[in-house]
Amino acid sequence: MSAAKLTVLVIDDEVQILRLLRITLEAAGMNVIEAETGKIGLEEAARCQPDAVVMDLGLPDIGGLEVLKQLREWSKVPVLVLTVLAAERDKVAALDAGADDYLTKPFGSAELTARLRAILRRVPGENEPSVVTFGDIEMDLAARIVRRGGAEVRLTAKEYAMLRLLVVHRGKVVTHGQMLRELWGPKAEENTHYLRVHMTHIRQKLEAEPHKPRHLRTESGIGYRLVEE
Amino acid sequence: MRRAEWPLGYEALRRVEHNLALARELGAEIVVTHDNDVAAALVRVALQNNATQIVVGKSRNPRWFDLLRGGNLVDRLLRIAGSIDIYLVPAERAAERPTTWIDWRPAEASPAREYAEVFGVLGALTIASWFIVPHSGYLSVGLFFLLAIIVLSLRLGPGPVFVAGVASALTWNFLFIPPLFTFAIARFEDGLMFVTYFVVALISGQLTARVRAQERNERMREDRATALFHLTQALSAARTLDEAVFAALRQADTYFGAKTALLLDDGNGSALMPHFAGSFSVTDKERGVADWAWRNRKKAGRFTDTLPSAEGHHVPLVREDTAIGVLILRMPPEATLSLSQRDLAESFAAQLAQLVEREQLRAVGEREKLLAESDKLHRTLLDGVSHELKTPLAVLSAAVENLKGADEATRADLADEIRTATRRLNRLVNNLLDQTRLESGALRPRLDWCDGHDLINAAIDGVSESLIGHPFETNIPKDLPLFRADAALMEQVIANLLLNAALHTPSGTEIFLAAGVDRQKSRIYFTVADRGPGLPATMRERLYQKFQRGDAAKAGGLGLGLSIIRGFVTAQGGDVVAGENPGGGAVLTVYLPFKAHGDVPNE
Repeated sequence: MSAAKLTVLVIDDEVQILRLLRITLEAAGMNVIEAETGKIGLEEAARCQPDAVVMDLGLPDIGGLEVLKQLREWSKVPVLVLTVLAAERDKVAALDAGADDYLTKPFGSAELTARLRAILRRVPGENEPSVVTFGDIEMDLAARIVRRGGAEVRLTAKEYAMLRLLVVHRGKVVTHGQMLRELWGPKAEENTHYLRVHMTHIRQKLEAEPHKPRHLRTESGIGYRLVEE
Repeated sequence: MRRAEWPLGYEALRRVEHNLALARELGAEIVVTHDNDVAAALVRVALQNNATQIVVGKSRNPRWFDLLRGGNLVDRLLRIAGSIDIYLVPAERAAERPTTWIDWRPAEASPAREYAEVFGVLGALTIASWFIVPHSGYLSVGLFFLLAIIVLSLRLGPGPVFVAGVASALTWNFLFIPPLFTFAIARFEDGLMFVTYFVVALISGQLTARVRAQERNERMREDRATALFHLTQALSAARTLDEAVFAALRQADTYFGAKTALLLDDGNGSALMPHFAGSFSVTDKERGVADWAWRNRKKAGRFTDTLPSAEGHHVPLVREDTAIGVLILRMPPEATLSLSQRDLAESFAAQLAQLVEREQLRAVGEREKLLAESDKLHRTLLDGVSHELKTPLAVLSAAVENLKGADEATRADLADEIRTATRRLNRLVNNLLDQTRLESGALRPRLDWCDGHDLINAAIDGVSESLIGHPFETNIPKDLPLFRADAALMEQVIANLLLNAALHTPSGTEIFLAAGVDRQKSRIYFTVADRGPGLPATMRERLYQKFQRGDAAKAGGLGLGLSIIRGFVTAQGGDVVAGENPGGGAVLTVYLPFKAHGDVPNE
């Protein structure tokens, strides 16, 4: 990852935020391209082929959501969305439109670089390692085996499928809608209690303190995130 | 001015109207009453109104007329007026009055049908008597006739009864009293009998008629009193102006057999607005008439001199010097409006006017109170916000100034200060935004299944730095079931409860968080208790109001915390209860409705 210098495209209409992001990201060893509007942002994305995009949802010309949709028509570049909006449904909308993660302003620079690294780590499906480890848990995706502290843990098929989804997207938030669609089909999108119940079981089997999970984190009103640490 | 009602023709009615309007303009109070003795009515009204003087016009009736009615008005007045002074003024020319016949005839003129009935009954009786007379003698025939007159007088007006008396007397004389077929009477006893018969027939007929008229007048007076009583009752029962107007208009509908509408002043006196309670929609033409009535504070439209071709009778609602609206009565085309009905309409209008004015005054008072209140709030808000915003800003700018040239240790300290200040600013801005969201009604909770542990963990994470310095304990059952709530709002509610406890209690005191399900009442609760100064009872009432802070509260915070908690919780169908912690401190408990979730397919 550290071999070539990564290029990040930042789309935000606030000059001060642009400047701050440039300082932060360059300090983290990345190249920064700036765009002040959605239109310029899309042109820059096509021209420079950045490794990641950090963009604000409230852009002056075309809305951030629209930029995201247009970008997703031809690019799989990881996108981190910045928002001042407190409403969870806007975050969910952005994630559903193809954003890889979100950050709510104001945010710390450490948080920003951590999130950025998580979405940069790998594009899902490419060079996927068959064994993923987090904490004392080891998940062998090829053999469909989960071990905790070396001992095999028995998961039901649904529990395994849910965990696998989070592991594949590890470090990133997976929305309730995405999980329900993937595991129960498009008609189950309202049944979030399925997720809650299964997640409780998974945590009980994998987490040291099931009620204070270290790895299987809840994003209130949005979804779940697997944190590796 | 006091005036008794006369049964009047249309012309006379208009003149009376005109005179009354003039009197009213000069500031007179008009009283309408019913009685068949004018003098008695005058004295009664005078006594009721504590009048000390009565002014009457000199009678123009012929002398015999007065005698028939038991003396002229002035004589009778003088007899019964007691301590009231009577002033006599000469009346104007006789041409001013319609024929005396109309005057003394009773209000309900006997139609031809009644006369036909008289002659029918008398004819039948005569034929029957013709066959009876050989057996009973002609004297008993007179008694039959007398009986018939009395029976007729119970049903008919005094005119037909009078005619019946005369006709029966003549018939009896002509056909039955010897010598037969002449109007002459042979014997002295027969003559005496005939004269007695004549007088008894006349008097009994007139007496019965008078009793009936009196009864009718009583009924009219009672109807009017009942109408007004019902109106005042309806008005006092109504809680709002709209309700009252609605009740009043429906009463008016009934009493006048009319459709009614009310136009009210729009508040700044530039136009009339129809009230929704009206039972017909006012046309532009009627609007014009109403406008005239309103601007001139005089009745207009049908049954008046002004714009009489209008469909409705327009009565202005007058309070002191201004008209605040117009009451419109739209009656069927064939209907008439008697003087007492006019008076009733005016009473209705007066009651409505009083009501509307009272309501308007109340509204003005309320508005002023509200303005004062919001002004106060505004000042508090400004003071609070400027203080709250400027404190962290001051810290920030000072810290940034000092960053340059500071040594490593100081830099770390300054960075901490900056972090604390930004957190405080962020919290404040969030609270202001949340409050705005609540007040603008933009808050639409999205209920979803929530895991209490997740919510509490997230909330604690958010405020962990504020909790430093407070021993913190939680008691959450491991099997806390899922419940429906807006996760983001609930997270904020719990965070605000904790923050509130942390900010308003001295450092080192404990904070306690518990949650659980009350299955009996099917609700889930979250409780935050502290060991701070507690919540004085006086504070508890205004606890959830904006910008209210505990009197002993430390600096910091705008007093929005609890108001937001309550707003968020009630938006989700829950409730917040404040209480006393046994052993000192405050307890705040949030309740949310709880229902277990449905089955989860295992695979």
